[in-house]
Amino acid sequence: MSEPPLRPGCEDVASPADARNRRRANVWLFATMALYLGASATVRWRAGLPAFVPWAAITVLLGMAVATVRAYRRFLRGADELVRRIQTDALAVGFSVGAVVGLAYPLLETLGAPRLGAAAGFVAMMLAWGLASWLGARRYDGGS
Amino acid sequence: MNNRLRVLRAERRWSQAELAARLGVSRQTVNAIETGRYDPSLPLAFTIAREFGLKIEEIFQPE
Repeated sequence: MSEPPLRPGCEDVASPADARNRRRANVWLFATMALYLGASATVRWRAGLPAFVPWAAITVLLGMAVATVRAYRRFLRGADELVRRIQTDALAVGFSVGAVVGLAYPLLETLGAPRLGAAAGFVAMMLAWGLASWLGARRYDGGS
Repeated sequence: MNNRLRVLRAERRWSQAELAARLGVSRQTVNAIETGRYDPSLPLAFTIAREFGLKIEEIFQPE
């Protein structure tokens, strides 16, 4: 029986509940990242703003970050064992890369590397996690 | 690990999506098991065996 090719992230591959939970987690993640940029700008250029605005931006950012973590945990708990395995591998890769970059890059900065600040490790972690998730999904696809 | 999942599924004329729904997993998981890219956990192997009315060793064989 020939099967249509897999299209990762689509509802014909994942169960509808998995696809919905994944979409929800992604929406929260991108919204939080957008708010982080907004909050960073608000804090940096707070001189002309009322004093409560930067505090409010940070408070909302923290609330959204917690909501994002909850959405991701809901996705992981509801996902089947292969998806959990892919995500566990990706989290391990992301954590490792983030830890190494977070530790090593400040040393490289003192030797003249471009200054990225404390966010370097976090950005490296998120990029490595995303890339490892994508590669992991492809590793188990194909040949249907 | 080798398995006969694709053959057994074809005998019953189930699509991957149908089998995935019966097992409570994604079609990606069924596809990965059929192509030998992923070995299921023991609980999932038992569920698969129960769904086909067979013993685990009648579906999965060590390489």
